[in-house]
Formats: sequence, structure tokens, C-alpha cells
Amino acid sequence: MKKIKELNLKGHLLTAISYLIPIVCGAGFLIAIGMGFGGTSQDQLIQGEFSFWDALATMGGAGLGLLPVVIATGISYSIAGKPGIAPGFIIGLTANAIGAGFIGGILGGFLSGYLAVAILKYLKVPKWAKGLMPTLIIPFLTSIIGGVIMVYIIGSPIAAFTSLLTNALNSLGSSSLLVFGGVVGLLSGVDFGGPINKTVFAFVLTMQAEGINGPITALQLVNTATPIGFGLAYFIAKLFRKNIYTTLETETLKSAVPMGVINIVEGVIPIVMNDIIRCVIATAVGGAAGGAVSMLLGADATVPFGGVLMLPTMTNPWTGVVALLVNILVTGLTLALIKKNKTQEEMSTQTETEEDDIDLDDIKVY
Amino acid sequence: MNIVGVAACTVGIAHTYIAQEKLENAAKKAGHEIAIETQGTIGTENELTAEQIAEAHVVILAIDVKISNRERFEGKRIIEVPTEVAVKSPNKLIEKVEKIVEQSYQERESK
Repeated sequence: MKKIKELNLKGHLLTAISYLIPIVCGAGFLIAIGMGFGGTSQDQLIQGEFSFWDALATMGGAGLGLLPVVIATGISYSIAGKPGIAPGFIIGLTANAIGAGFIGGILGGFLSGYLAVAILKYLKVPKWAKGLMPTLIIPFLTSIIGGVIMVYIIGSPIAAFTSLLTNALNSLGSSSLLVFGGVVGLLSGVDFGGPINKTVFAFVLTMQAEGINGPITALQLVNTATPIGFGLAYFIAKLFRKNIYTTLETETLKSAVPMGVINIVEGVIPIVMNDIIRCVIATAVGGAAGGAVSMLLGADATVPFGGVLMLPTMTNPWTGVVALLVNILVTGLTLALIKKNKTQEEMSTQTETEEDDIDLDDIKVY
Repeated sequence: MNIVGVAACTVGIAHTYIAQEKLENAAKKAGHEIAIETQGTIGTENELTAEQIAEAHVVILAIDVKISNRERFEGKRIIEVPTEVAVKSPNKLIEKVEKIVEQSYQERESK
């Protein structure tokens, strides 16, 4: 176990996802707006035969289509530094070409990164060839070894595995859909855009690459609904004559709610930090409810990002609306009920809460 | 004690800056000088100067992802944690850092 931890697989994946997210957001918005106005994402834009909305959708589609390449390049860079970029890029493209998709991209990235590191470490070249090392030897050797492994060894099994997964998910009955959606919703909400959310994100994005849009829709609807639910809780609590937020937190909400509408959940974190347990419970309960409804009704946005902008891309936009409303209501109600009433005094002061003990495993000293 | 550090989280819009703020408050409360650089999605902000790094007794990295220019801290005592730790328990983290630094100075003296 310790060996595996030292490899820091999760850290490399997260680094790659941090490069991926702005692309998903930018391209996701483009394709969401384009498709919302009736455009379609096309393989090729032929002069004079496309509308402005087709152009937008195509830009977005092009960006999203390259996600396996981005994740491979990101992972490889995270492991090997600059020498990892070139082979990661090539092996990522190879994964795309053989239909190994996002999972292929992830494995390809690790392959490429560790290969590049190994070559750097073990291949000794004479002094005159030093300049060739980063420009030719590492990119060429890593790409040929990694690429051949991708094409002839791991590519087809990954492609087979993804289609197996796809079929299994497509044939889920309604009760399993309910559970699956609930789990996706719960996991994605529970750490407010932190590492758990991003790991689930990588997983559901993989499925979307295979044409299954339900899980990612559930995830992003939960991300969208959570901050709005926090906002709604303010008003529900007022009905009970309760003040659940400090003045500072209310201010935070004013930017967190609009951010939520366009799919950014992180705005509520400062509020969550002041009262972690209650906020997480409310988010998890609401997220599980919203995710379950979303999967059950079959909300199926074709874009992986956009918040309410995802709605027009669904076969039946009302399904997404219902899922959002359920999630917002459940989160809002739960939060309004379980959060403590703040006295006037507490309203204006920041509360100091007891800190968790630090897990020694979390600290690395160099 | 002089502390420098870097905060960087996965998305680079929220945890990074919360970690920065919490670390700064906790360190100041304990009477230390601190400067935290943030490497968010927007890029590097509050960049550490070579002088600050040279004067620092310890480096705290509150990071979930690979950071750039890590080699600046070579030869320094570096303490690395996930951003989560800095966000959830900044005061306890600073206490731990104090202990680690103290220990390493004692070790150096006994050698």
C-alpha cells in the first residue's frame, strides 16, 4: 500500500483534471450555447454551409473530443515534468484513435509519464547526445513504446471494457437507476468540488464519451442545485423566523448562488467551512435525491458543463428542471431545519470551531 | 519564525485561496511571519520573492496538484499537506510545523 501511495496516482490525476476543467468549462459552454440555439457539432465546417450556432457547437465539440488527449498530456506532465508533455500528447491521440477514450487517455498518461521518467533515469547517453535527449530521444522512445503498448496491448481491452460498462449502464432497471443516481449525486455533492467530486467527474465524463449522458447530467445538476439550495435555505429559514447565516455568509451567498446557476459549486465553501457537518448532510441528502430523480427521469444533457445552460440540450428539458427543483428544495429544507438559529451577536461574529486532528499520513516532510 | 508557502488546489478557484487565508491567519496568530503564494487557475499570484524564500525557516506546501517552480525551495525544510488539512486545521498544522522545525534544528546542532 505504501508503495502505491508513494506513486501518488491520485495527485497526478488531479493535476491533469485541473488542466482539464477550464477546457471542459469553455468548450462545454460553447457547445451548450450552440446546441441550445439549434446548432449541431460537425466534423468539418464547410464554407457557406453552417450557421453561427453550428460554428459554436463545433468549436465546443472539438474541444471536448480532445479530452482524452488533454488528460493523457496532463498526467504525463505531472509525472515527468516538461519531457512528459510531448509523449503524453502523442499517446493520448493514439488512445483516441483506437477508441480507448477517456480511460485509455488516463492509462496512456501514466504509461507515458513513467516511461519518460524511466528513460531519463536509466538511459545514459554520451555528452554529444545530451541535446538530443529532450528533443528526440525521450519523445520518440516514449511515444513508440507507449503507443505500441496502447495500440496492440491495452487499447482493445480498454475499448471492450468501456463498451461492457456502457451496455451494463444502459440496461439498468429503474430501481438500480435510482440507486446509481443517488450515489453519483451524493458523492459529487459531499466535498463541494473537491477531490471526491473530481474523481467522480472523471468517471462520469468517461461514460459520456461513450454516449451515456445520464450520470454526468446527474452530477452537474447536483453541483448546480447545491448553491441554489443554500440560497433557498435562507428564505425557508426566514419563514420559521430563523437566522441560519451570519451577515458575512449572506454576503457570500450573493455571489455563490449566481455561480451555482452556471455550475460552479465552490462558491459556498466558505459557508460550509463554518459548519461542515450540517452543510454536508444537507448537501448529501439533496444531492442523493436530485441525482436519483435525474437518473430515473432520464435527464440526458449532451454537454458536460453549463448548469442551467445544460437544460436545452436534453431530450426532455423538463426532466432536468424537475431534478434541479427536487435537489434545491431538499437541500434548502434540510439546511433550514438542521442549522442552528444564530443570535444577533453570532450574526456579526465569525465562529471559531474546533479543529480536526491532523492525520500524520497527510503530512510529508522533505 | 519566517514561513513561506504555496497553495494550489485542483480547480484553483476556491480551496487555494481559503488555504492561503487560513494559513496566514493561523501563522500570524502564533506570532510568525508568513507569505503564501497562490497558484490558482488564474495563474500565480502573490509570488514569493527570492529574498523571502532565502529568509524562510520552513516552507509549507498546501497543494493537491503539481506546482510550478518547486525547485526554488531546494535545500529548505519543506512540509507538504493536501489543501484540505490547511483549510480544516490551520492552527494545528502550524503547531506541527513548529515542532518539526524545532526538531530539525536540534538534530542539526547535535551533529
